[in-house]
Amino acid sequence: MKESAIKIENVEFNYGHLKVIDHVSLEIPKGISFGLLGSNGAGKTTSIRLMLGLLKPNKGNIFCLGREPSPANAVNTGYMPQLPSLYNELTVRQNIDFFAHIYGLKNAQQRRKRVDEIIQLVELMPKRDVSVVQLSGGMKQRVSLACAIVHQPPLLFLDEPTVGLDPELRVHFWEYFENLTAAGTTLVISSHTMDDAAHCRQLAFMREGKIIAQGTPAELRAAVGKPDASLEDAFLFFIRHGEVKSNVQ
Amino acid sequence: MFSNMFTIAQRTITQILRDPRTLVLIIIVPLVIASLFGVSIPDKMILNMTLPAMLATLILFFGFLLSGIAFLRERSLGTRERLMASPVSRIDILGGYLLGFLLFAILQTLILFFYSVYVLKVDFRGELWQIILFQILIGILAVSLGIFISAFARNEFQMVQFIPLIIVPQVFVCGLIFPVSQLPDYLQWLAKFLPLTYGIDGIRALMLEGKGLGDIGKEISVLVAYAGGLLILAGISLRRGHSA
Repeated sequence: MKESAIKIENVEFNYGHLKVIDHVSLEIPKGISFGLLGSNGAGKTTSIRLMLGLLKPNKGNIFCLGREPSPANAVNTGYMPQLPSLYNELTVRQNIDFFAHIYGLKNAQQRRKRVDEIIQLVELMPKRDVSVVQLSGGMKQRVSLACAIVHQPPLLFLDEPTVGLDPELRVHFWEYFENLTAAGTTLVISSHTMDDAAHCRQLAFMREGKIIAQGTPAELRAAVGKPDASLEDAFLFFIRHGEVKSNVQ
Repeated sequence: MFSNMFTIAQRTITQILRDPRTLVLIIIVPLVIASLFGVSIPDKMILNMTLPAMLATLILFFGFLLSGIAFLRERSLGTRERLMASPVSRIDILGGYLLGFLLFAILQTLILFFYSVYVLKVDFRGELWQIILFQILIGILAVSLGIFISAFARNEFQMVQFIPLIIVPQVFVCGLIFPVSQLPDYLQWLAKFLPLTYGIDGIRALMLEGKGLGDIGKEISVLVAYAGGLLILAGISLRRGHSA
């Protein structure tokens, strides 16, 4: 088994009296796409915030690339939030350049070259000097992805990255993601769509702050016991059977 | 060392410069308010007496409004969380926003001051640079106050509600309308804890009495302590692990 990119040990997190993450343990190998699947409110975004260090667990430990999340280690991570979270008045280039700078690309010439590369990668060259506010939703998502990967982080968190995208753009996004994992980047992707789940190398199904099942898509489908079971069937199967502790690996 | 701070400041400035409507409002609104104030007080002597206090109040008001709303917007758009997930420190974030917003607070301060002097023909004594420096200090306080208070608002509507709570009482109590010494004892006591009291006292000493910055050490110290304290509190509200 590959070395872990993320190790979560018995983590619990509460918002006030509300338990949002309930004793979650998880180990994500390096260089794969790992999907956190679950319905709205299952705890996917909170899990990502915990892994980024934006929230602190009430109990348990989290290690990203062997270290606890902190600003000093954040240079090794990229984050694409659920909302595009961009500076609307700034152009595509200015937004990406800003994130490139704060993630450590200080040399202006190198940064410019890298920003151009990434704009080309997300196919926004004709729009590079257009304000973000003037872009379509799909284009904003592409800028947001570019901001998250411009510094080439080994670990990338994508919170519902394909929400609101048309089918063609979703295919493009998954091509980007597969190229990233091929280059050794670990992707942690939250989603509630089974289309996304099918692209992930490994999955964890979440419900009410708990991981109810974990494994490869094939393993999860096989657990249903029907030859033609889909991932949706698998998800419903695990929900109906309550908490299936550990995983099907 | 402060590279990220300057990058954030530059980004904040660029954002406002690329928003022509906001930029025009930043320039025009102080002029409109100062003009209204000027024409509503036809007696030159009364205008000379009251305008310094009005300047201090407007600097506080505009700086608070600009920084408070802009900082809050960062949170509602999600850009602040994205920034908090990056390698930048809290000092970089606060310093960057402070520098960025301060530029526009200073711009508004200079517009108000020079408009008052050259258009409304308000007389003043004291050194020009010292007056401007003290006004910038009020601007720093205003920006710090806006950033700090924005931590308590969840949206722009709530932020606007803080104006009557934070700014208006200071207008009544800090000597803009009536001298603090003529207020009831409990309001005089309250005035001692409000930063605008020191802003108004300081600017009056400089503009009306011709004193220098060395003569208003107490006012400067209180404003610096207030601004510093508010920034520290704002920094605490920004800490990672508690951004929910």
